[in-house]
Amino acid sequence: MLTSVLVSGLGLGSMYGLIALGFHITYAVSGTVNFAQGSAVTLGAVLGYWLAVGLGWPMPLAVAGALLGCALLGLVVERILVRPFVERGSDAWLLATVAGGIILDNALLFTFGKEPRSLPSALVASPIEVLGAGIYPLQIVIPVVGIAASLALRAVFRGTDLGRVLLAVAQNADAARLMGIDVRRTVACAFALSGLLAGAAGLLIAPLFSVSAEMGALFGIKAFAVAILGGIGSATGVVLAGLLYGLVEAGVTATLGSTYTQIVVFSVIILALALRPDGLLGRAAVNKV
Amino acid sequence: MSLRNLALRNLSLRSVRLQALRPTRAGFGRLALLSLLAGLAALGPSRAAEPVRIGLVTALSGQSAKSGEAISRGIGLAIDEINAKGGVLGRPLELVARDDEANPSKGVLAARELIQRAGVAALIGGLDTPVSMAIVPIANQMKVPFVGPWAAGTGITRNGAADNYAFRVSAVDALVDEALVAYAVKTYGAKKPGMILVNNAWGESNQQGLVAALKAASLPAAGIEKYEANDVDMVPQLTRLREAGADALFLVGNVGPSAQVVKSLDRMGWSVPVISHWGPAGGRFDELAGPSAAKVHFIQTFTFAGNEAPKAKAVLAALKAKYPAIKSMADVTPAVGIANAYDATHLIALAIAAAGSTEGPKVRDGFYRIATYPGLIKTYEAPFAPGRHDALGPQDYVFTRFQNGEIVAVTQ
Amino acid sequence: MLQPKRHPLRAPAAMPLAILALTAAGLGLVALSQGYTHFVIALVALTVVAGTGLNVLLGLAGLISFGHAGFYALGAYASAILTLSGLSFWLALPAAGLLTALVGALLAVPAMRVKGPYLAMMTIAFGFLVEHGLVEGGALTGGQNGLVITAGPVLFGEALAERGLAILSVLGAGLSLYGFHRLRLARLGRAMRAVRDSEAAAASLGFDPVRVKTAAFAISAGLTGLAGAVLPPLMLFIAPSSFPFSQSILFVLSVVVGGAGTVLGPLCGALVTVLLPELLAGLAEYRLIFFGLTTLVVLWLVPAGIVGTLARLLPRAADARAPRAGDGSALPRREDGEPLVIEGLGISFGGIRAADGVSLTAAAGRVTSLIGPNGAGKTTVLNMVSGFYRPDAGAIRLGRRDLAGASAHAIARAGIARTYQTTRLFGSLSVLDNVALAVAPGSLLRRSTAGDAGHAAALLAFAGYAGPLDRPAAELPHVDRRLVEIARALAGGPKVLLLDEPAAGLTRADTDRIGSLLRRISESGVAVILVEHDMPLVMGTSDHILVMDAGRPIATGAPAEVRRDPAVLRAYLGGAETPARPRAAPWQGPADPVLASHRLRAGYGAAPVLDDLALSVRPGETVALLGANGAGKSTAMRALSGLLRPVQGSIVLADRPVAELPAHAIARLGLALVPEGRQVFPELTVIENIRLGARGRGGRIDPAEIEALLDRFPRLRERAGSRAGLLSGGEQQMLAIARGLMARPRILLLDEPSLGLAPAMINTLYGVVADLRDRGITILIVDQMAALALTVADRGYVLEQGRVVAEGSAAELQADKGLEAAYLGAA
Repeated sequence: MLTSVLVSGLGLGSMYGLIALGFHITYAVSGTVNFAQGSAVTLGAVLGYWLAVGLGWPMPLAVAGALLGCALLGLVVERILVRPFVERGSDAWLLATVAGGIILDNALLFTFGKEPRSLPSALVASPIEVLGAGIYPLQIVIPVVGIAASLALRAVFRGTDLGRVLLAVAQNADAARLMGIDVRRTVACAFALSGLLAGAAGLLIAPLFSVSAEMGALFGIKAFAVAILGGIGSATGVVLAGLLYGLVEAGVTATLGSTYTQIVVFSVIILALALRPDGLLGRAAVNKV
Repeated sequence: MSLRNLALRNLSLRSVRLQALRPTRAGFGRLALLSLLAGLAALGPSRAAEPVRIGLVTALSGQSAKSGEAISRGIGLAIDEINAKGGVLGRPLELVARDDEANPSKGVLAARELIQRAGVAALIGGLDTPVSMAIVPIANQMKVPFVGPWAAGTGITRNGAADNYAFRVSAVDALVDEALVAYAVKTYGAKKPGMILVNNAWGESNQQGLVAALKAASLPAAGIEKYEANDVDMVPQLTRLREAGADALFLVGNVGPSAQVVKSLDRMGWSVPVISHWGPAGGRFDELAGPSAAKVHFIQTFTFAGNEAPKAKAVLAALKAKYPAIKSMADVTPAVGIANAYDATHLIALAIAAAGSTEGPKVRDGFYRIATYPGLIKTYEAPFAPGRHDALGPQDYVFTRFQNGEIVAVTQ
Repeated sequence: MLQPKRHPLRAPAAMPLAILALTAAGLGLVALSQGYTHFVIALVALTVVAGTGLNVLLGLAGLISFGHAGFYALGAYASAILTLSGLSFWLALPAAGLLTALVGALLAVPAMRVKGPYLAMMTIAFGFLVEHGLVEGGALTGGQNGLVITAGPVLFGEALAERGLAILSVLGAGLSLYGFHRLRLARLGRAMRAVRDSEAAAASLGFDPVRVKTAAFAISAGLTGLAGAVLPPLMLFIAPSSFPFSQSILFVLSVVVGGAGTVLGPLCGALVTVLLPELLAGLAEYRLIFFGLTTLVVLWLVPAGIVGTLARLLPRAADARAPRAGDGSALPRREDGEPLVIEGLGISFGGIRAADGVSLTAAAGRVTSLIGPNGAGKTTVLNMVSGFYRPDAGAIRLGRRDLAGASAHAIARAGIARTYQTTRLFGSLSVLDNVALAVAPGSLLRRSTAGDAGHAAALLAFAGYAGPLDRPAAELPHVDRRLVEIARALAGGPKVLLLDEPAAGLTRADTDRIGSLLRRISESGVAVILVEHDMPLVMGTSDHILVMDAGRPIATGAPAEVRRDPAVLRAYLGGAETPARPRAAPWQGPADPVLASHRLRAGYGAAPVLDDLALSVRPGETVALLGANGAGKSTAMRALSGLLRPVQGSIVLADRPVAELPAHAIARLGLALVPEGRQVFPELTVIENIRLGARGRGGRIDPAEIEALLDRFPRLRERAGSRAGLLSGGEQQMLAIARGLMARPRILLLDEPSLGLAPAMINTLYGVVADLRDRGITILIVDQMAALALTVADRGYVLEQGRVVAEGSAAELQADKGLEAAYLGAA
């Protein structure tokens, strides 16, 4: 029981974390988030299915193609749903990305089809037994990928010139321009990276569950909750919050039953934010008067 | 332009679009031209053969969209047949479809709009029990017959209203649950079955039904577990059922989560008989659930596969002719949706004909006067009577399973 | 004077009349239609009520909620459960409203602590919590099956069917729109906007932000709950799934699309969000795509919302102006003045003692100044006195009350008012409302009277403000913002007035006027406490001075004593008389400019700030750009560097036209702007900041180059590894210049380098600038302290209203008495 809760919680949790990292990156660089992030999860899975099953591409190629598609989606979202509003000083990007998500979800519904499909993968062919619980190999791969991605991101931000450029844009976009940094392109890159992470999450979950035109919606909301709980400005916080969220969800389901999962989880969110208004590892801005 | 004409124009647009499903450039051009013509025609005085409108409120988008498509196809085929024979009361039948997004309040809105604005003579419902439950009070209050071709919630037809306008050509949860329990006992010798149910009105309806059926069979329940429609991992719930000593599982849920239940069982390495409501029929269950899908036995009112009845063959051929998208048996998997809706539409037409009018109360009484209808599922003999609004009963249920993408009857 | 001619649609009575007409139209529509149309009208009207509720939160208090479907659901369930248990609908309706208002107030408690996306998430969680709570509500809520409503409301023995409910809803919509209109103009509504625009400033006017936000949440939730309470008899069925997350988004959408903060916005929004799906119903499964697309198009076309955008098309009223008052006018004298006594005040931030043992007595009717180098802790002391920081040692006494540790709003009500280093006006409120709101500190329910407005106008005149009264404060130029902020601080009749660098960024002439204003304020019996770097202002107006350094007081006394104190000279004033730093030999170089502009026009709105600006800077030259506040100096720097686009006319940098290029491209061509306010990257270390300076030029960074820079700025070497945000103002300025030099620029632009710096630091800074000049770096410098800039410049331009009105060598400009009086101020 405990093993299955741990595996299930860590697996889903690292997925939430991966998607939430996408929220984190765009927020850190531009102060905006893409509320169509859930649709990017769907797109990753759907493209992967279409390339691998529909067109018969070899899996690595299909994965690469799907990730590229999601990165492109990020660019498009930034260009038409975010930038026009940010440049006019409007907050309407928030609703624009929500509307974009609705459009994309429905467009996928009509192109991909209305019924869920299964994405075959060698990693879910047969379960292996770990500590008395049956686990698909993919369930081990998922948290590894999730944590590796967050560590890599952290390393990029802390240790490379590119990371410093991203941080500079986040802290003061005008000053960054004066350093010769192309802020627009940087923000666009952040959205592409964000889309790519969501797509990766979609590809990883798809074989475990199923591919459908609406699979991403709930993941998107939960991942946003995770991003906020972790402190949307902190990559480490976001990933930790993801794991924690997954474990709490699995734990509550296992002990109290699934009916109370949502009630408990959403109460915890409100309580946690009331106690830590800037998230788990978020840093409060100094209250300068 | 009045609201009415606007609605008419949209209707014509829809019926045209159904024929031009492939969006070629020429198709769009033609579509635009036709809808313009239709709009002009609607403005004109020609109202000689004012059609009799039948409303449909179902999920046309979202994860239940496939069921909506099946229902639409069943109705469409029946309407074609009826209109080819001159319609009812000398007027053609016309379908007006609305998307409820599987959301009850959207469904209520759509039902009101169809009744009050489009003036439908009868309403057909969809897959989701919560939506149908929401529409029933409206139909009763506005005195328009509401016929369910899918949603099985017991309370839909047994709604306690003095003046009941809700009919159904589909399974009934209370009866299905009795059949499930009987099947579990007879086939698997179950002594302590557990339940794994979706946490919505449909699950709740079956929880009541199963609990009552188990009590009637004096069997204990190992446990009642629920999951959310969006859940992707049911191992925790199933683990508790296993620890409680369940020797068979009753499964209620749509195809997606049903597949997750099977996969979770696989991961746990727990081989237990699964007897399911008809959720798995709603999609490619065997593809989603993998090889273990075949172990799940589920209830149906109808299958095309292995059905040698001439009527079934004829309808299948007609379907393939009308909807070129149907290529294999896998494309008619929610056969119950097609068959129930097909029979329901014919029954509605018969009721209107018997009533000699499209007024709600008269049509309702018309249902009671239907004598014989040789339908797709069976030959109906006086299918409805006051106090008996369900045309199908336990004798019409068959247990099926998936085999190579097709739903086939379980041969015992 | 206060009643200018208005456009009829902007007349005060126009809005109530419009609401009345719209309500009548709605009722007329009900009378003329039937059946389904009634139902749709009722839905639109209820969405208006709910949207107006959200508008209170979003449009007035500036708080987002993605959980209003939760309140809608609570209202609906409360009304349904109460009526099903036999209570009359007419009692259930207000009960449902009260219940949701209470829940709203409760949600405000945790919601108060979070902002922006965090608040969005908390409200999303609330919405889901309500939905799932209703699912698990058992027999009470009917679980997933929901509740079927059998009996509708009865009025005068008649059961209200759809027609009656439609009439009820339309009336409710009209009432809620009117209520919103009244609320927006009432003190409570203005206080909400004030808290939104600047929470700190609202608190220092005595408004308790917690109470104001709680009120906003409660009103908002209550209205939305009332709307929900009408749903059950209308829908005849409610279930948890009737109130999904998407409903919350639709509410936000209807407010934003209509125009947040406008009275009629929710009406417009409801028409779009309810009627559009109705019209698209025939599209069946394609309608969500169309709905999404339509939403996007509306957002693209009218980002300020439909009503907001239309309102901008109405002609503006002629500006009302404050009555002219001579510089000699006085405040009514107050005799109950009390001294503010500070004893042993101290506070630490993360182990650093930001203030320690600060004692000060500010007598009524006197000006007491607090001076010291940057980072000395002066503003920290002000923040403790005004209640933003809680001191960990010492006392703050006004009369007999000890105020140490009291909240900002309590301190404001005790009679201590303040202004801020960067002004904190309520940008969306008019100038007059900014001041009128402060008349009764903290009072939310007081009726605003014509007397308040008159008093406010008089105070504005007293402060020397002569601009328009009806303008939103956000549109004011810098000087006026300072004056309005002082008038606002005076409006509550304070005993103590705290001013934080009121002269920062002002010209000599404007600073002198501030000085006279401060004297007149203190003469009325107010204790004035001034934090300021401008020595002529401090020395000319103060009765008593306290000098601080590194958090500790180092000297105290009358201006003359302090000026001679050796400790003060060492720490702060160190050669306050900036020496001239002419070149050893006059500049000579090629005549082809590095940077030139020709007929340059640029601005932020309709009126250009720069008008046909022509200037040129030649290689190796140092050129000063001078002028009064608002002459366009900083705008010129932003336009030249590419931060402000688009511009008309030409800018040529090293023979390349760059007027079309964005800032980063210009930076790569070798123009380095050291921007106003330094703008270092606060979370990066000093070294990382410097390295980023080389980003635009590309190529490898030679460690020796960084070493050389650290040699030139030894204070940066000491702090090389610390985060730039922790540096003092002077150190940040050095860092910004070092960062600019890393680009090895063809030309270095310095925008207001001395702003906010202590005299000794300014002196050091200008030494650095002179040194750079002598090393052959081309410099264009803007400084409010014109005399300072001319100490290093070879040549200068004087701007007035965006044009060059004079140019000449530094010596010529310094010698021109006329220019000095008009633009540079007598130093």
